[in-house]
Formats: sequence, C-alpha cells, structure tokens
Amino acid sequence: MPKNFERMNYYEMLDIGPAAAAFEIRHAYNAARQIYASGSLVSYSFFSGEEREKILSLIETAYQTLINEGTRKQYNEELVRRGELEVKDDASAAKKTMGIFDIKRGPCTMVTLPGRDVLKDKIERSETIGTILQQEDIYGADLKKIRTELGVELEHIAQMTKIRVDYLKHIEEDAIGFLPAPVFLKGFLKSYLKCLCLEPVEEISGRYMGTVARSGGG
Amino acid sequence: MAFVWPIGGGKGGSGKSFLTSSLGRLSAKAGKKTLIIDLDLGAANLHTLVGVPYPEKGFSDFLQKRIPLLEDTVIKTPFENLFLISGARDNFDIANLPYAQKMKTLRAIAKLDYDRILLDLGAGTSFNTLDFFLISQNGIFITTPEPTSIENVYRLIRSIYFRLIRYCFTAPEFKSLGEEIENRFGEGAANRPDTIMNAVALLHPDRYEKLQDELASFRFKLVINQMRRYDNASLGPQIGRMVEKHLGLHLEFAGNVAYDDHVHDAICQQASFVDRYPYTKTALDLKELSRQIVEHAGRQLSLRDI
Repeated sequence: MPKNFERMNYYEMLDIGPAAAAFEIRHAYNAARQIYASGSLVSYSFFSGEEREKILSLIETAYQTLINEGTRKQYNEELVRRGELEVKDDASAAKKTMGIFDIKRGPCTMVTLPGRDVLKDKIERSETIGTILQQEDIYGADLKKIRTELGVELEHIAQMTKIRVDYLKHIEEDAIGFLPAPVFLKGFLKSYLKCLCLEPVEEISGRYMGTVARSGGG
Repeated sequence: MAFVWPIGGGKGGSGKSFLTSSLGRLSAKAGKKTLIIDLDLGAANLHTLVGVPYPEKGFSDFLQKRIPLLEDTVIKTPFENLFLISGARDNFDIANLPYAQKMKTLRAIAKLDYDRILLDLGAGTSFNTLDFFLISQNGIFITTPEPTSIENVYRLIRSIYFRLIRYCFTAPEFKSLGEEIENRFGEGAANRPDTIMNAVALLHPDRYEKLQDELASFRFKLVINQMRRYDNASLGPQIGRMVEKHLGLHLEFAGNVAYDDHVHDAICQQASFVDRYPYTKTALDLKELSRQIVEHAGRQLSLRDI
C-alpha cells in the first residue's frame, strides 16, 4: 500500500527528488495539474470531488513551498527533523542551472601552442634540431624528436591541423604500411611542419618524402 | 505451464475482442502455439473475428459436461498455430457461472498445453470477470481515451483491488472487517482502498504483510486503444503513474493503438486486420504490443494458486 497522498512529503507529491531544481519543480507541478485537474481525462472518475479538491490544494501548497527558496529551506529543515530527509554536507547540492554555451565545462579544453617567435627562437638555439635538419634522410622518429624538444603535444598539432592523431602517430612511428597516399601524406607533413615553424617547409617535406619512398621501396 | 494473458476493459467498443484476436494472430504468426478463449460469457463473438463463423463446439460443452476435457473443446482456426475455444452456442443463463464451475474452469485453463493463452473477458465487474482476470499476474487493461471508457476501466481496477483483498479472508471475516471499518471510519469508508488497507493493517497485521506482497506481485498492463492523432499520447503513462501512486498496484503502460477506419472494414469483411492492412499505423502498434507478449513472457510470474 502506498503512503496516503496526504501523508506524503511535498517532494513525493510532485514526484521529484529533494535536489530538484526550480524548473523541475515547475515542470512537475504542471504535470501534476494535468493529472489531477477537474477536467482531466487521466483522473476522470478516479477521485471523488472532495478528494480531488484536497489533492489539488495540497499540490498547490507543495508547489508554493518548494518554488520559494526561503520556504523550501524551512521545509527541508522540517523534513530533516522528521527524519525524512538526510542532511547534505554540501548545502549547495541542489542542482544549479548550467549554461549551454559554457565552454569551460567538459573534458575538452582548448590548447594554445607556444607563440611562433618562441618556437623559432627555440629551433635556432637547439643543437639537436640543428643536426636533425642537416640530415640527408629525415625519418618520422626525427620529427618526433624535434617536437618533443619543442615541448609540443601531438594532440595540440592534431587540434591545430585537424589531422587525426593516429595519422600523426603513424608518421612519427614510421609505420609505412599505415601511411596515407603520398599526396595526402605530403599535405599532412607540410601542415605538421608549419605548426612547428620548421622552415623551409617545401624542402624539409621533400627530404622526408624521399626517405619514405626509399624505405618503402627497400 | 502456459503463459496466460487476460484482457479486460470497459463496456462494448473498447476493443477487447479485437485486441485478443489481433494479438493472438500475431503471436501465432511469430511461431507460438496460441490459444484464445472467449470468456465473454453470454456475449461471445471472438470466433467471428478469427474466421470461424459457426464453431461446432465451445466452452459451454465443457460446462454442460458434454465434453469432459476443456482441451477437447479447442477448435482450429484458418490460421496456423492459432486455436480457439469459442463462447458461442451457449445457454442463456451461462453468464452467471456458479462458483464450482468457475473453479473447475480456472483449473482447466491453467493446465492447457499452449505457449500463449489469451483470455477475452466480458465487460463489467462481475465476479466471473474478476476471477478470470486474476488467473494470471499479467492482466491487460484496455481502454479508449474517452471518459466513459476510462471510468469503466478504473471501476474494473478498483474491483480487482477489492477482489484481491477479499481473497485473503473468509466470508465471515470479511463481513466483520467491513462492519468494523464502517464503525471506525464512518459510512462508506469500506469502499475506499486506503481505509480498508489501514483497517487490515490494524486488525490483521499478519494478513497485511501477505496482502501487500500479493498486491505488489501483479504486473498489470495498460493499452490505450483508438488513439486519434490529436489525443494526448501520454495519457497511458500518466494513468499508470497515478494508479501506482494512489492504489499501489503496478500498472505498466504497454502502448497506444492508433485509431483506423480500416479496422471497421476488416471486421465487416470478417478478415484478420493485421493480415489485410499490415502496414497501417494501427497494425504496427499491435505488432509492437504483440512483441511484448511473445518475447517477454518469461517475466511472467507463476499462476495464482487456485
């Protein structure tokens, strides 16, 4: 046997949880009105006129109490005293509305690469990068070394260039079998180099493509 | 053990027989050996809906002992896997089934060897209807979205509720309980479910537990039939929630069945609607419903002890 409607607490009457936000309370109130209103098909003949009036006035009281933050707080305290509600450690546990355009929420954070000048400065000063750029053959592993030296994450490049991370990984790991067709590969590589401010782009990418062609052929 | 699905609802026109025949047809089509029984005693017409205009035997032969076993009254329909026990050709006093015969029938139904058994029940709240409805814990209520029909279905639900309470007591006990309630809570209080339950809790605490378990074990379903496009589609879920909240009976909304004039056509042509108009919204709704009956029958609890 369910609890008598009159003995339910206001949250139970409206079928909502104690942490419901204001819009949920309003929504539940409207839904309840739809069910119990005197012209409603849902509860037609289910209640006597007297019962219906009682229920409707209870719902009205429930809504008026819960929608007002002050009276709701008082009522919650009363429920706690009655033992029907547990005290929440976090007083602000009630749901707050959340903006749809709040870009700070969620795991996706926008990253910014170090500025171009900073990168160029690092490239000039770094010995490792200098020697790598002198090499006849440039492998993916070399590119990776440069990138780590510059302290840039692969994900950053993926975000900037819109090239999928797994493609970039294949390039850096020299996974020749997984590389895209040369025409795409060249494009990808140029974007990669531009991202790291490695110049001259045409020349370096040409050397890399040559290396790939040789090791692929061999 | 067979899975029994009683189908009950308000006065004529809510679609009990139509739903029974359609679900029976679809369940048979899905490969389940299905039996539909016309228990609308005194106003039988299920046979007409499944293409058996002149049933040569039926339920009354069993009651009159012309056929000793209920399973021998089963007749084939033109459809594969679909069988029928007709309620036609009965005597004119058959609508008032004596207690002993009712018990005999209930026991016989429980023993029938079919995958699915659908019972087409009569309108109203006679003890016959209630007891047949309570043979299984999966009774289906059907109503149209009209106040008259909804009023009848609520009446039926309440009657079933009281019948369940009544099962827990012997006749003298129940009478004295009623008197006690009238004394304590005033006249008419014995008709209200909350006062009657309070009284049971007070006077028979041992039964109260049992009764609560009993009430909670039922999984009734609700079908809204003849849904027009402009009708409130969430009527069913709302009714289910309200009944659960105020009576404590599980009433799960099973689905809406759209209104379609083709139903009328199919019945007039004495053809199976789901076969003649398989791609109407109505037929698709029925298919969706039948899926619950064909597939989810495993969730059915055991038959009541009779």
